[in-house]
Amino acid sequence: MGESLEFLRTLMNDPFGFLDIPVRQIITDIVNWIVANFRDFSRTYISPPVRGVMNGVQSALSAIPPGIFLIGIFLLGWWAASWRIAVFSIVSFALIGFMGVWDQMIITLSLVVTAVFFCVLFGLPLGILSSRSDRFYAVLRPVLDIMQTTPPFVYLVPAVMLFSIGNVPGLIATIIFAMPPVIRLTNLGIRQVNSEFIEAAVAFGSSRRQILWKVQFPLALPTIMAGLNQTIMLSLSMVVIAAIIGAGGLGLEVYAGLERLNIGQAFVGGIGIVLLAMVLDRVTQGLGEKAPGVRHKAD
Amino acid sequence: MIRAENLSKIFGSDPEAALPLLEQGKTKDEIRDETGQTVGVNNASFDIQPGEIFAIMGLSGCGKSTLIRCINRIIDPTAGKIFFKDPEQGEQDITDLNADQLRSLRRRHMSMVFQHFALFPHRTVLSNATYGLEIQGRSNDERRVRGQEVLEMVGLDQWAHAYPPELSGGMQQRVGLARALATDAEVLLMDEPFSALDPLIKVDMQQELKKIQRELQRTVLFITHDLDEAMRIGDHIAIMEEGRIVQIGSPEQILVNPRTDYVAKFVEHADPTGVITAGTIALPFESDAFEPSGERDGIRYSHHRDHPEIRYGRDRDGRLRGVTVEDREAPLKPLEQILDAAEGARATRLRDEIAITCPEGAVLRQVLRGRLHSTLPVIVTTADGRARGLIDDPELINGILEKRGYVAP
Repeated sequence: MGESLEFLRTLMNDPFGFLDIPVRQIITDIVNWIVANFRDFSRTYISPPVRGVMNGVQSALSAIPPGIFLIGIFLLGWWAASWRIAVFSIVSFALIGFMGVWDQMIITLSLVVTAVFFCVLFGLPLGILSSRSDRFYAVLRPVLDIMQTTPPFVYLVPAVMLFSIGNVPGLIATIIFAMPPVIRLTNLGIRQVNSEFIEAAVAFGSSRRQILWKVQFPLALPTIMAGLNQTIMLSLSMVVIAAIIGAGGLGLEVYAGLERLNIGQAFVGGIGIVLLAMVLDRVTQGLGEKAPGVRHKAD
Repeated sequence: MIRAENLSKIFGSDPEAALPLLEQGKTKDEIRDETGQTVGVNNASFDIQPGEIFAIMGLSGCGKSTLIRCINRIIDPTAGKIFFKDPEQGEQDITDLNADQLRSLRRRHMSMVFQHFALFPHRTVLSNATYGLEIQGRSNDERRVRGQEVLEMVGLDQWAHAYPPELSGGMQQRVGLARALATDAEVLLMDEPFSALDPLIKVDMQQELKKIQRELQRTVLFITHDLDEAMRIGDHIAIMEEGRIVQIGSPEQILVNPRTDYVAKFVEHADPTGVITAGTIALPFESDAFEPSGERDGIRYSHHRDHPEIRYGRDRDGRLRGVTVEDREAPLKPLEQILDAAEGARATRLRDEIAITCPEGAVLRQVLRGRLHSTLPVIVTTADGRARGLIDDPELINGILEKRGYVAP
């Protein structure tokens, strides 16, 4: 009698003492296994293309004289959005230059452009596949949730173990974190295309591919552009975190400033990131509204 | 051109289960209660002739939109066959085609016009009109030329570079029509094409469709919920109720001879003056309403027994040779001439004693107009020139109010 009472008391006070799930050990083992088996693979097949694109973008952007760059950014803002955005863009970029972080901004911009390039490269096809197969999307969806909600700090460690430190692991982490919106919104955009347009396309004998490229994709473009915009914003938000593992640019400025308790330096980097983010946001939003499906939306 | 045999479409998880019930003649509601399946089309059979406008009329939910989509298999029928007679390849069964053959059928032989236009908002009017050609893989130049051609046909060549949302509803549907005409498909499927338009625009579009149809001689399957529209443009009309075709016939046949109470209720308020023809209501000279009244110079005279003063003279071939009123000769004049001469003039109380002749195919409206100019009955003649009968007030009033033609006692 007294014995079972004792048992009940222990159960109530410490129900978790009976079972120990060694998640820590399991994850460590898994990661170790992955690192041991895929390190060479990732360093031979994944790193070089990512680094190659990154270097290409960076040298292209650095090759542009800053003055020309400023004029270019003004024209881009004007073409994509409005003259207000154009003025805002040129002023923001000039401020970045005047603060003395132009070169860092170029690195950050290269990181973002590279990350977005890979996000679109993989995200667009995955989004299109998702829109055409409910089963595929059902499998992909939890993966996307994991990609988006896992705190990026958590997968910085395996990224470093696989890719060592520097820009590449930072980029890999950024790509994983920023890709889901492109996939989700491509899927959504295509699925949202009014069925009457699909029916009309079918009635005139369109093949599935023709329906996709002549009707669904153009009409989904505004939504896809919204996804692209989110992807750009997410990848910008990763640059500071990526700096922890050795990525350069404005993020490093912030991280280094924090480490040395140099508030001024950290803020310069932070302001640079904010300005870059706002310009990229306005310009891509402008592009999204230029997409044919928006301006001419059926009433 | 298109022939459907016992076409049925059942929606639901197990359409086959409902088929035997359809054959037993159960109604839509009974089948839903017993099997949970919804009947879209129930055993529809019809035969559409090349070059005609075949109108399918019914209320919403009667299955007419499902039926038209079975023809190009945007919806796959559950049972039945659809034969399409292609001038080159002969007759083929559409329900037997595989995906490739089906696409080729839709590209070359059948095009479609939709109730809500379904124009692609991201394409210009021109590129909407040439969508079908683009799908066929025709060259840019060819598309531009043909696109301008069809846009001209519907009067929108000035708008080639506008976008659909910039156009009014009527204009948008003209683009829809141009898109359907551009591919030279022999068959045009039109799913309530004018239902979303304002009444005035609607009448314009109907006339325009008739005009284009006269020039191009396409075979048109036209869905509508508007009986007057069906009567105005259809060469034949099929009336649908709960998935079933309850009657097929010419507008006049349906108006004069509704087969079921349902059809009768429909046609009750239809305007007969543009549909019922003189031949249908004419009181035949051969009927016992007429009595002989002598013969002179080989011409036999007869008169209506209520009006012995008006005598109609016909020769041995049955041709009209003269009309006398109390022995005065009344001048003969074709209805067409009277109407042409009176065009634009106001109705008058001064009516002459003219014997107006009209062809069997003239509609009531024309006969009524003619009556304004004469106190005498209108004489109806056949295509080969024989005098067939006459139309007086009782025939006209009976035709308009009762929608009934002459019925031999």
